[in-house]
Amino acid sequence: MRRTLLALAGIASVTLAACSPGNPDSGSSASGGGAGRLTIGTTADVVNYNPLLGNSRTDTWVTNLMYPRLMSMDLEGKRTPYLATRWEYADGGRTAKVTLRDDFTWSDGTKVTADDVIFTIDAVAKEKIGIVAGLIPSYTGATAVSPTEIEFHLSQPDGTFLENVGFWMPVVPKHVFEKAPSVQKFANDANWVSAGPYKLESAERGQRYVLKRVDSYPLVEGGKPAVEEVVFRVFPDVNTEALALRNGEIDLIANVVPPALAKTLDGNDKIKTVKVPSLGWAHMQYNTQRKPLDRLEVRQALAAAVDYEAIRRVALQGSAVTSNSSVLTPTLKQWQDTSAKEYTYDTARAKQLLTGAGYRDGDGDGLFDGLSFRMIFDQADPNIAKWAQLVRDSAKQAGVDIKLEGLERNTYVAKYQERDYDIYAGSWAIMDNPPANLALAFKCKGFINYANACDPELDKLIDQARAQLDQADQKPLIQQAAKMISDKVYDNVLYVEEFTIAHSAQWSNFLVQPSELLSIVNPQSLAQAKKG
Amino acid sequence: MTVTRAHESPGRLTWQAFRRNPLGPSAVAVLLLMGVVALCAPLIADYPSGYGEQVLAPPGGGHWFGTDDLGRDVFAQVVWGTRVSIVVGLAASALAIVAGVVVGVAAAYFRRADAALGVVVDLSLSLPVLPLMILVAALAGPSVPTLVVVIAAFSWPEVARVVRSQGLAVVPMPYVSASHALGGSHLWIIRRHVLPGVAPVVAVSVVLTTSRAVLAEAGLSFLGLGDPDSWSWGTILHNAQRSGSLATAWWTTLFPSLAILLLVVSATLVAVAYNDASDPRTR
Repeated sequence: MRRTLLALAGIASVTLAACSPGNPDSGSSASGGGAGRLTIGTTADVVNYNPLLGNSRTDTWVTNLMYPRLMSMDLEGKRTPYLATRWEYADGGRTAKVTLRDDFTWSDGTKVTADDVIFTIDAVAKEKIGIVAGLIPSYTGATAVSPTEIEFHLSQPDGTFLENVGFWMPVVPKHVFEKAPSVQKFANDANWVSAGPYKLESAERGQRYVLKRVDSYPLVEGGKPAVEEVVFRVFPDVNTEALALRNGEIDLIANVVPPALAKTLDGNDKIKTVKVPSLGWAHMQYNTQRKPLDRLEVRQALAAAVDYEAIRRVALQGSAVTSNSSVLTPTLKQWQDTSAKEYTYDTARAKQLLTGAGYRDGDGDGLFDGLSFRMIFDQADPNIAKWAQLVRDSAKQAGVDIKLEGLERNTYVAKYQERDYDIYAGSWAIMDNPPANLALAFKCKGFINYANACDPELDKLIDQARAQLDQADQKPLIQQAAKMISDKVYDNVLYVEEFTIAHSAQWSNFLVQPSELLSIVNPQSLAQAKKG
Repeated sequence: MTVTRAHESPGRLTWQAFRRNPLGPSAVAVLLLMGVVALCAPLIADYPSGYGEQVLAPPGGGHWFGTDDLGRDVFAQVVWGTRVSIVVGLAASALAIVAGVVVGVAAAYFRRADAALGVVVDLSLSLPVLPLMILVAALAGPSVPTLVVVIAAFSWPEVARVVRSQGLAVVPMPYVSASHALGGSHLWIIRRHVLPGVAPVVAVSVVLTTSRAVLAEAGLSFLGLGDPDSWSWGTILHNAQRSGSLATAWWTTLFPSLAILLLVVSATLVAVAYNDASDPRTR
């Protein structure tokens, strides 16, 4: 049925092309063998069309194609130009200057200017919208020096400001969003205005989201995206997505393909897989506010009772690399501390540490008395649910009882927000700027401080690093902080995943960017992708 | 059809009829075999834990049912899963039966309570069971006791209804009225006359509720609400679905599904055969 419809559509377009000889485009697209449409599979609907609110993957994939950011990112997490061409600090770090491109236009013809950027950041700061608001505490205001030059004013020197705003904040069209009484409450669910490469045309919940290319997208060769139409189709899960990719119903799976499934796709010559480095890491955090996890020996023993190598080799099927138990992962080459060393898997040493800490196995059941921990994780996460079992089984050999609590997503979120666990197992998607991220994740009362760590010395190091304006000056301080986090086992980093993204072998010329949010579904990639 | 021998007790007649139908005894044999597997799991296979080097290996010499995405033996998982599935099934059905019989008998015997209890039962029967089970299991956190309580909490109304209708037939019997006239207490009458009267339907209910509870357990575990620290058939299916091997590694789903099918079909056959055997018209 579908094929018949497509064939009919083909005939119709040929007929139309014949009737309108003045349009050279329609003829060329028909001869292009239907390269006009790229269909992408996803497992969720778009919840927020407002890019400043969106936080799910599908939200980001779709809105990224309409709202540019100041900066993009290369494979090592370094910022690259996008809407901005230059950026620097001035005035001892109290001013941040950004120069914009002058050739970006919104799809309704209005130019993208400094006013749009300032409108967006002011709205974010004033209404405290989303994650960006938390990343720019030092922002006080901005001035448009010219339509392409902006000066941001900061309350104190903050060496993380430009990178955070540059990568995390999508720029929205002022002339559209200012009509709403509140930017935060603006649903933006119709009549979209986009700065490309694509513009949402129609959305059917649970079915598909159709985006058409814009007339002008200066970042791609020829000034116009190669593909006419990008369609996101919604599937129940990754198994059905894989079937659809095999059958040729879709051209690309936006979601990460689990390692076991990736292996079976590798053998298929109609399908290509792409490796995408993660900007985050998978880890366990021990709740240091709970006894006996407040004791360093106990945390060290737990860290020694994890078979790191087996987790990467078996549970992740080799699609993960070690981070040497450091929060400065090998993806972020410019931050990495090459002297870092991974915790050693040694159950005998774990037992020794616990015996030294005064624990005994009085009842002879092979487990230390009074050492039982609850570990929570999201049961829907295929990798974590797998390695959680390995962690439990290897801990048992060290005489430690770990009870797994694989929770339904909402319960899991509620529990970790209340810090209601002994051990937290999870993963970060994007930790792209260590000075900013470590502050959120390890400072006393940090927003995502899941170890409940509170170490004045560590806080001081992180604050000092943040105040430096130069990455080179931040680096030694951040490396020192990372070493302290590793030594005191505030975070047990297990691995950095290498994501597998699968697409049809008919398509090529994608651009790989790090993390599952960008992967090959990033704007630049979809603008330059080609069929054949 | 058969010649009724008046001197034999109804129980004996039922048993003889049951034995004549080949489906009944063979289904009982399957159930017994599953019971033995559950009891003797440690003798049959090692507890599946840790990991193996052969990931997603198809069924073969080393692994009869193949291996899962962590290289663990699926046969061992099915064997140990039998234990949890049956324990959850039996425990949930025991709870449901007790609650159902108490409510059902009370409704049949105490006529004034009937209307109120009837409303409660009807209300419970009209609830959307699966979404509620999911909600409760998600809120209470995954564990074997949670599953047992959740499944029982949503299974008793059916038992209550069946028991009540049978009880309504027993309570007006002359011998019950006679017991009243002789001054027998309510409790004594219920124990002596009503309960034995409803016993046959309870027996059938036990089997059917257990098989339904096993199915419910598998369903909840498949949805990820099972106990991650124990193996059940639903958990094996859930692991297969989550790891993305559902479509490619058929052995991870076929064998636990077969086990579920076998148990449910056997239980149903036993119930049907018993029902036919105990009814003089179909004996």
